[in-house]
Amino acid sequence: MKILVTVAEVATVDDEFEIDGTEIADQYLNADLNEWDDYAIEEAVQLQEGGVADEVVTVTIGPEESEQTIRQALAKGADRAIRVWDESLEGVDLLDVRAKTEILKAVVAEEEPDLILSGVQTGDDSWMATGVSLAESLDFQWSAVVNDLDHDLEDGTASVRRELEGGVEELSEVDLPAVLTIQTGINEPRYASLRGIRQAQRKPLDAKTLDDIGVDAGVVDGSLELTDMYEPESESDATVWEGSAEETAGELAEMLREKGVTA
Amino acid sequence: MDFELTDEQKQLREEVRRFAENEIAPIAEEYDVEEKYPHEIIDKAADMGLLGPHIPIEYGGAGYGSLEVAMIVEELFAVDAGIGLSIISTSFGCESIMHFGTDEQKERFLEPVAAGEAITGAAISEPDTGSDVSSVSTQAEKDGDEWVINGNKMWITNGSIGDFFVVLCETNPDAEGRYNGFSQIVVESDRDGFEADKITGKLGIRASDTAELIFDDVRVPEENLIGTQDAAFMQQMQFFDETRTAVAAQGVGIAKGALRASLEYAQDREQFGRPISDFQAIQHKIADMATEAEAARNLTYKAAWKVDQGEDITKLASMAKEFASRIAVDAANEAVQIHGGAGYVNDFPVERFYRDAKITQIYEGTTEIQKNVIARELLGKGAF
Ligand SMILES: Cc1cc2nc3c(=O)[nH]c(=O)nc-3n(C[C@H](O)[C@H](O)[C@H](O)COP(=O)(O)OP(=O)(O)OC[C@H]3O[C@@H](n4cnc5c(N)ncnc54)[C@H](O)[C@@H]3O)c2cc1C
Repeated sequence: MKILVTVAEVATVDDEFEIDGTEIADQYLNADLNEWDDYAIEEAVQLQEGGVADEVVTVTIGPEESEQTIRQALAKGADRAIRVWDESLEGVDLLDVRAKTEILKAVVAEEEPDLILSGVQTGDDSWMATGVSLAESLDFQWSAVVNDLDHDLEDGTASVRRELEGGVEELSEVDLPAVLTIQTGINEPRYASLRGIRQAQRKPLDAKTLDDIGVDAGVVDGSLELTDMYEPESESDATVWEGSAEETAGELAEMLREKGVTA
Repeated sequence: MDFELTDEQKQLREEVRRFAENEIAPIAEEYDVEEKYPHEIIDKAADMGLLGPHIPIEYGGAGYGSLEVAMIVEELFAVDAGIGLSIISTSFGCESIMHFGTDEQKERFLEPVAAGEAITGAAISEPDTGSDVSSVSTQAEKDGDEWVINGNKMWITNGSIGDFFVVLCETNPDAEGRYNGFSQIVVESDRDGFEADKITGKLGIRASDTAELIFDDVRVPEENLIGTQDAAFMQQMQFFDETRTAVAAQGVGIAKGALRASLEYAQDREQFGRPISDFQAIQHKIADMATEAEAARNLTYKAAWKVDQGEDITKLASMAKEFASRIAVDAANEAVQIHGGAGYVNDFPVERFYRDAKITQIYEGTTEIQKNVIARELLGKGAF
């Protein structure tokens, strides 16, 4: 069985930052592997270690600078990586879900994986849509926000538990090939081992252009435009007390009383 | 000349930083206060393959050189020196086995260390033997096909939790010349007659285990002798370039941690209606700390790089060790000053850094000994 994991390098923001037009100024930004993808990689690597999967391949849409981040997945156990990038993607600051879907779909057509794992969302753009959109366009079954996966995968089905709104969970089965979007907490992602880091430098990381995978450059022209960026007003403040329950219960009671809550 | 790190080195540093911040930072204070050995972190470090990073790949290590080891040490010590030392010291003494051991000894001793199943120590110092290593008096006498060991070793890192120790013993008291007649012998802690007394009440690096070792007619097989009989003093000296460079990296790490904490606190803390980082007195402290840390890092990386090229760098290693340990003490001192009263209690890590930093000027050759070495190399004569 072959597993394809979609991974992305995302922008992370310092606690304090300033917005400049529709961007956050560079000095407040760092790059890291998308948190959800870390869980997806761990799940795939565990399936491989358990003898269920034979090969774990990662795919990303990103520039050459993202390779260091992408190698984290190789250091943690993925076998090889594909990185799609193209001149036409260079100036695009909002690559929409449709474009990502088209690009990933072309890679899936080449790789023919049995299972595709993606993160529920990316930490920066937070579309929460790419995995499901990809499944739809491939006509694959899918399950979103998966927080438990049975590693049997027997008879070509995956038994999953998924998180619904309000703390409700659903158990379901999906037929393979399928796309699962992986929720944080499904496992405990490992640190890349020192040997893993050494080996990762020698694992294949193939760079491909849109042309290489047969996708028209026009796909990057999205219908969405970023018009504004601002910090949302917080409507209420949370008060956090530090200390033991004995120490802080009185303070909580006091505050509730002040707010007019009476027994 | 190229100062750029490779992608692999950057990735290594990032991952160790992540490990230190997520796993060590939250518990460092507890282990310092309780002066207890961090077994749970050692297990996690073993999972990451972080133990014995310089052990060759064929024996289960990562086969990293001195430069990569320096980077690992720096990131660990920037968060906590006590736990950092606990992690990095699980393979203390193994350098001798790596360079002078037989294949059989390497398999027997190095593999369990790389796998995180055994912890080791280097036992050189004695109650009456510190800076003057040639005065070692622990005796090893041959009896049939066994060595019989008697004596005391002092200040031994991992002493009460270690599985085996590479012990510097006197094997030929009649040898000519003060540097001859010593041998390195591996002593397992489960041998009869072996005893370890944990030393408590340390100023800093309190998570790291330190003990006195007592050998009372301890018998080990003759196969436990490492390298050449009676020639261990020279064997031991060979690794000073490597081990002193690693202690230099400890200093760089502590300075980096002190700087990081100071930058954060200075921008947060307000007095006279503005962050204290607006005051030039504070800015200059921070500028000095950053400059000195960078200078120490470059000296350390250069020493490490040269060790990896196989060069003999006695003077450079001593310079790096002496300078980095000095600026670590200075940086920790200024970090407490920048924190004011808050720096005097353990709500912030700088109080711990201040206590931890001092050891880097003492072990692996004191500051005075490093300066003696540097001067001896410059003047071309014995300066002891
Ligand atoms: C926490 C800790 C962990 C340690 N871990 C280990 C370990 O794992 N293995 C091990 O073998 N040892 C270990 N040591 C011992 C350490 O290496 C020694 O403490 C160190 O070498 C200094 O020796 P000493 O304490 O006997 O001091 P001394 O040699 O007695 O020195 C006292 C003072 O005299 C100065 N001095 C001595 N000789 C000269 C000279 N010729 N010129 C000028 N000044 C001089 C010294 O610089 C120092 O200031 C450890 C020590 C500590 C505190």
